[in-house]
Amino acid sequence: MAEFGGQMAADSLLTHLLRDAGVAIGGGCLCLAGDCPHCLATVDGVSYVRTCQVTFREGAAVTLHAANGQLPPLESPGERPPVTARTTHCDIVVIGQGPAGRVAATDARSVGAHVVTLDAREGQDVIGVYPGPLVVARTEDGMRHVYPRGEIVVATGASEIQPAVPGNHLRGLVTARAAAELAASGVPLGQVVAVGTPPDGIVCELASGTLVRFEPSSDPTRVGAVVMRDPGGVETRLACDTVSLGLGLTPRDALLRMARGMNVRGVGDVLLPAHVPPCPVEGTVCPCAGVTVADLASVHARGFHELELVKRATLAGTGPCQGAGCVPHIRAFLAAQGAALQPPFTARPVTRQLTIGEVAAGAHHAVTPRTALHEEHVGLGAIMERLGGWWRPWHYGDVDAEYSAVRTGVSICDVSTLGKMQVSGPGALALLEHLYPVPISTLAPGRARYVFLLDERGYVIDDGMVARESDTRFNLTFTSGGATFAEMWVRDWAESLGADVRLMNQTFSLGAINVTGPRAAELLARAGVGAPPAFLHHGQADVAGVPCRIYRLSFTGEVSFELHHAAADSVRLWHALLSLGQDLGIRPHGLKALLKLRLEKGHLIVGQDTDFDSSLRRLGCEWAVRLDKPAFIGRQAVLRTNRLPLDRQLCGFEMDGEQTTSEVVCRTPAEGATIWDGEDLAGVVTSTTWSPTLGKSIMLGWLRLKDGQLPTDVTIDGRTARRVPTPFYDPEGRRARG
Amino acid sequence: MNEFVERAIDLRWPTEVKRAYDVVIIGGGGHGLATAYYLATRHGITNVAVLECSYIGGGNSGRNTTIIRANYGVPEAVRFYQRSVDLYAHLEQETDRALMHKTKGLLWIAHSEAGIRQERARAAVNTACGASTEYVDPGTIREICPQIDLTGNGVWPVYGASYHPAGSTARHDRVVWAYAEGAMRLGVDVFQRTGVTGIRMDRGRVTGVETSDGPIAAGIVLSAVGGHVTTIASMVGLRLPIRTHPLQAFVTNRYAQAFHPIVASSGLGGYASQTAKGEMLIGAEIDRAPSYAYDSGHPFLQHCAFRMMTLLPFLRDLRVLRQWTGVCDMSTDYSPVMGLTGVDGFLVTTGWGTWGFKAIPAGGEQLAALIATGRTPDLIAPFSLDRFARDRTMADRGSAGTH
Repeated sequence: MAEFGGQMAADSLLTHLLRDAGVAIGGGCLCLAGDCPHCLATVDGVSYVRTCQVTFREGAAVTLHAANGQLPPLESPGERPPVTARTTHCDIVVIGQGPAGRVAATDARSVGAHVVTLDAREGQDVIGVYPGPLVVARTEDGMRHVYPRGEIVVATGASEIQPAVPGNHLRGLVTARAAAELAASGVPLGQVVAVGTPPDGIVCELASGTLVRFEPSSDPTRVGAVVMRDPGGVETRLACDTVSLGLGLTPRDALLRMARGMNVRGVGDVLLPAHVPPCPVEGTVCPCAGVTVADLASVHARGFHELELVKRATLAGTGPCQGAGCVPHIRAFLAAQGAALQPPFTARPVTRQLTIGEVAAGAHHAVTPRTALHEEHVGLGAIMERLGGWWRPWHYGDVDAEYSAVRTGVSICDVSTLGKMQVSGPGALALLEHLYPVPISTLAPGRARYVFLLDERGYVIDDGMVARESDTRFNLTFTSGGATFAEMWVRDWAESLGADVRLMNQTFSLGAINVTGPRAAELLARAGVGAPPAFLHHGQADVAGVPCRIYRLSFTGEVSFELHHAAADSVRLWHALLSLGQDLGIRPHGLKALLKLRLEKGHLIVGQDTDFDSSLRRLGCEWAVRLDKPAFIGRQAVLRTNRLPLDRQLCGFEMDGEQTTSEVVCRTPAEGATIWDGEDLAGVVTSTTWSPTLGKSIMLGWLRLKDGQLPTDVTIDGRTARRVPTPFYDPEGRRARG
Repeated sequence: MNEFVERAIDLRWPTEVKRAYDVVIIGGGGHGLATAYYLATRHGITNVAVLECSYIGGGNSGRNTTIIRANYGVPEAVRFYQRSVDLYAHLEQETDRALMHKTKGLLWIAHSEAGIRQERARAAVNTACGASTEYVDPGTIREICPQIDLTGNGVWPVYGASYHPAGSTARHDRVVWAYAEGAMRLGVDVFQRTGVTGIRMDRGRVTGVETSDGPIAAGIVLSAVGGHVTTIASMVGLRLPIRTHPLQAFVTNRYAQAFHPIVASSGLGGYASQTAKGEMLIGAEIDRAPSYAYDSGHPFLQHCAFRMMTLLPFLRDLRVLRQWTGVCDMSTDYSPVMGLTGVDGFLVTTGWGTWGFKAIPAGGEQLAALIATGRTPDLIAPFSLDRFARDRTMADRGSAGTH
């Protein structure tokens, strides 16, 4: 009896097909144990199903795989209910419930262990033992993910060796175990000849000698006789309806080998030494890939001596049974050529097949977070986009109007996605001095400034704001997309430096609304803030009854008040601002307008305009590093690389629109366009927009230096563009100061 | 009858190790063997030994997803990989071996505004540097690959893509063998099961290697290993800016040919193609945690399967056959490192990350030229090891963490 399972409770689909449906299973030696590739069928739209391993179910649509090698179609028709995944933690997992597996499970339970058993004959196909350790099984009710605290017991038994002689593709060939099982299930076998170990409980003729070949009957697809050879070389032909083949066992030990280094133990037949069959002489060795002994001889004669090379040169062992049938014969073949017996293929998942839909069970897309104002944006008709890892309003239907509201009136923008972190404690100042390339100690309480975060190589990893609340308390912001990394960065450095600080992530707890435009102060006054902070200052105030910390920096180029508040108050504050600003023409602006506004100001976006190796010099932001500061992360690298010649720089460009007969057409180059210096590729545009205020296209892009100089006139999209200093708009920054 | 049995390549292994060679190449993968091949065929240098600790092509050369493309993000890389694409296109002719080279076209999908920008930039830089890539809209994507769900299952809609018609595949093992065969035919000695245990130095100059089969003298030693290059480099006291990360892939059973292009998505972190045999071959980005382990993980299989179904719903009922793992040497700027090292006589070709297979012909050709002439060819000069010290790194978003 097979160690893997014993009798199935119900008929397998294969038994049903053979006994009741009179279906002619395509040839080959059937094993009934899930090892061979001979009973494959498409069942309910899923191909490569081993019919011996699934329970018969009335109404199942079954198509046997074509014997002519025609492949199943590449499709997944119809709907299918989602597959569930169930996770179990246990003490011991026992794979295989044959005699040895049952004893192992009983023994473990007798000492109080929580045991999970997984048995192929119960429809629990273990696909692999993974680091974790994690044992994953496919069942007809979904996936099982089993995490054992203790031992993994592998009791998967041994498989029977397939015949590798001419005629092994015929129908009517079964392994000895399969013969016994089929007979017990009432499948008529007719006259049975047994080669090798005979099957249990069946009357059969015993064939002696060496197996030579199978011969067809009057039905050319079905076996009619088996030919044996005695030691004297005399061949005997034994007529039969079925041949039972007991050619020896080879351990079904892939899971055991896969789990090397883990707490794993094999029991029962899985520990058997692999039986090495006689060297195959003729016929098909690998039925999955159709590899013959002649193929093996051919590649071997041309230098493919290693098992792994023979596999790759012939593709033997790469089909549905993954070498279960052919590896014993190939090892025997190679050993017979004079080499040492080579180990079998590396054991890899999956040991039993399953669909992509099944293996994906339990997976989900990473959540894209929403701000507290998400529904407000949707209600206003916003097109929502994933930006910086969040759902954000791309625009509300009229980008031009959103832009104009900022430049000429007042507008609000949901900037809750900014990374926000509070750093406090006696070590806060020293930590931030180490993190930032500009002096922090000179930043008085109540002040805020724009800063870059550098890595040890002096390359920009993020930017944002640092604001000082008190001697020992600071509020930092990071980019929406960079906040997670930045938080790790700050925490790791705090840890490394042993800083006596408290770090509080406030990204999700605080909402943030930017009120911006020439009439922003007017709106704030209506909301009860008569004396808002001055430029580059911040302060605490109630805005329309909502407690806020108001930061006065500017990304849009206009007067801006960034209102940080408890996220629970976001909706109330948003409504109040819209309502108070109604007669000022207030309207919210989305990211598309914001990108235009910031580009007019020449503000770069980390990740869009920067690269992995953007130093502040390359970004043209040397003002943002103070090398007279004695120590900060990246200082050494900045000093070193500043001595090397500059190779490229992020520059501003402008391009006129095209005058047609009636109007100026923007024709702004797309982001990603190449920049040419004469015939030379000189860089790539990272940001572009049409500036309505300036009446021209404006761009940021990387420009290579030639002979130590940045070219002034370049070609972008076949048209002339000029390198110009940034900001493009209000270069003195008067408007932001108000 | 199996049409995929290799029927021509003849590997004539050497019978014994000589005690001295002009050049010793450590690593019998694609890069090591291609370098030997081009040394022999282009420069007449045949007193060369290639030392492989396992079997040839058993490392990343045999663990990759066989994709050939030139659609990188920085000009130097585009030019280099385009050279490789061109060499691959004629490799069957040159070696007179069936390498199953097939031009399929490659779609790189954008699912966001940022993705559009990136794919447009890719197309623009490629076009400027001699690789043909164009930005295409969803309608064109549907024509190229009707199986793509343009709604991304309602979750990851397709906004556009860059399309690289030259994207192709070739049978990885056969590429390795064809180079090995060609090199050995001209007298190069390739040894399997010969591990390098040390590198001999004399007054700062490399003089040979120690192997499991005894010492071998050589004036030039090239490390062409994958996965353990830092170990080899440390034998000459060299520290490389390389980390090694696992990269995983899986393959399904064989199905009728119906999926023609190669489809990649940075947003979903995966890519898929159908092999000549009919298997769907699916890969992901590198594992985040560095490791040398070849262990296959379940989270990779589960999540990669899930994400790719989002884009390619026809995958759902296909049955998974096998998963496997390679290890990738990643440099800090995601670009390869080729050439001189500052240690006299010691050269490297490394940092191949997830792009090693596609670079085999050009990498081999250029390193052979460097070894033969002593001068670094212009095409690979930007990839020299000293670029890190010179602050001339080549941050390539077009290649970060992908295939």
